[in-house]
Amino acid sequence: MSQSGATDTTTQVISRRGRAKDRLEEVAAEHPDVPRLVILKTDVQRRGVHYTGSALRLLDPSLHQVTGTPIPGSRDGRLRPCPESLLMRDGSSILTAPTPLEEDPYWVDGIEGRLWLRDGGDPIEEVEYWPRPDYYGRLTAKGVDYRHIASARPQGLHISLGPARLDPEDVAEVVGDALREPGRFSALVIIAGSDPRGPEPFDREVDHCIEILRAIGRNFQNPAFPSQLNGSAYSRRQLERLHARTGLMSYTADLEVLDPGLFQRLRPDKARWVDYDEWKRRLVEAVAVFGRGRVGTGILAGMELGGPHGYATEEEALGRNLDQAEWLAERGVTTVFSLWKPPSGSFQGNASLDFLIQLAKGFHRIRRSHGLTVEYGDYRRGGNHPDLDLDRLQN
Amino acid sequence: MAMELPREFVNLLRRRGVHKVLTTIGDDGFPHAALKQTLQVDSAGRLFYLELMESSVTNRNMVASLWFHRPVSVLVSGTGGVSWELQGRPLRTLIAGPEFKKHYRLAHHRYGAMGLAAVWFIEPLALRDQSRTRRLLEEREAHPFFVHLDRLAIPGQARRQAGKD
Repeated sequence: MSQSGATDTTTQVISRRGRAKDRLEEVAAEHPDVPRLVILKTDVQRRGVHYTGSALRLLDPSLHQVTGTPIPGSRDGRLRPCPESLLMRDGSSILTAPTPLEEDPYWVDGIEGRLWLRDGGDPIEEVEYWPRPDYYGRLTAKGVDYRHIASARPQGLHISLGPARLDPEDVAEVVGDALREPGRFSALVIIAGSDPRGPEPFDREVDHCIEILRAIGRNFQNPAFPSQLNGSAYSRRQLERLHARTGLMSYTADLEVLDPGLFQRLRPDKARWVDYDEWKRRLVEAVAVFGRGRVGTGILAGMELGGPHGYATEEEALGRNLDQAEWLAERGVTTVFSLWKPPSGSFQGNASLDFLIQLAKGFHRIRRSHGLTVEYGDYRRGGNHPDLDLDRLQN
Repeated sequence: MAMELPREFVNLLRRRGVHKVLTTIGDDGFPHAALKQTLQVDSAGRLFYLELMESSVTNRNMVASLWFHRPVSVLVSGTGGVSWELQGRPLRTLIAGPEFKKHYRLAHHRYGAMGLAAVWFIEPLALRDQSRTRRLLEEREAHPFFVHLDRLAIPGQARRQAGKD
């Protein structure tokens, strides 16, 4: 059983957690058409996790993915070897982060050699740590640690191009080596960062993506290979250049919030270069280049509820999100959500679980009604979007 | 406590030339049957099969069964009318990790381009020996009225009644 010491604070947290469990059960009862596992995954992402001592003793860096520093969105800010994330028995992932006990996280506990999620009482679901890729610990010919170039999910290889500029030869080498591990990866995701420099804004970013993707492409038999670029909102000319010169098969540019006023206020760094309406127009243009179901945008669900300018109610936010997602879907663009995690100590709390489940159902219904899928970023290839888990019953 | 699979069933599953059919239920309520020759019992006694295609109807139905607690059925049929039917439920699926990798290598060797989408584990709930001879004995014993009378008649009398003598 758990080796974590119970303190007065812990006791208080446990008493609150009892109410939180009711919320999960309430939401599950309210939405019998949504699998309980998806609701649980959403709630764990929402509330975060606390790894008990016995859970951490089951962490084996020779078998599991370990993060030495808090991953983006981590809410406890402590430096220590930490599990990267969790796998569930339906094959989906929970991308989650260690969270202080005061914020009422789920507990990941080690019980008789197995890992379980707990919510203040009995174990409620068995989970696993993410498996470690074979390439961990290797260096490129130029001496760069592979982990500075690529990060792994259970089936996805993610390469982040910003803020450091990566050497295409290093990237090609890492990808080539990663592909030697049988069955390990079924998705390649390039995160472009945001570099507005160039004769036309983002030309420099597009140039860098092209050189990286062309280098990666040398590892594949066919000119096109399953891949996703998560980048800025590019012009038609830039999109056509990307498509013509690389093997890229899908493109996403995240609006993060589906409202022009909130986009301006919450993402001024993006809005400065491409305003909300132009961003949407560029997404639609990208469908003409990459095809229906090959272009998407992401939002950070819950961010639109914060601050003095956010929506007053979750109902209002839901209506607006679905309305905008419908507009995009009519034009062949998909919308997915990740959970926005308020920083520790923030006055803004998490979005409610019911709001997130309604949003997941809404996005799923919209995609289905327009015959759209997001196969390049589904439960297996991405894993971070509860709404995409629901697409697993639809092919 | 998981149900232990009887030796006769496990032996049949491991025999060459048997047919293995997995039947699942779709979201629309319709059953879907598919040959799944990879159905097997591992050294720990767990029933599993290798799903070769992510987009297969069975794979989709298995996800729905795991999520919504719907049963699945496994039929294993050998020569001479020997067959067993197992009812169970999907317990978990593997899409990554050392065990998945082991099966991926095997599937790649055996099926080449097909690859491997998932390893599905099925928890047995009930098992039934449906072998022809056994079922015939069961029916005769438990349901003596379920028979055509000509099969019970003295052979000569039946022939006279048919006007052949």
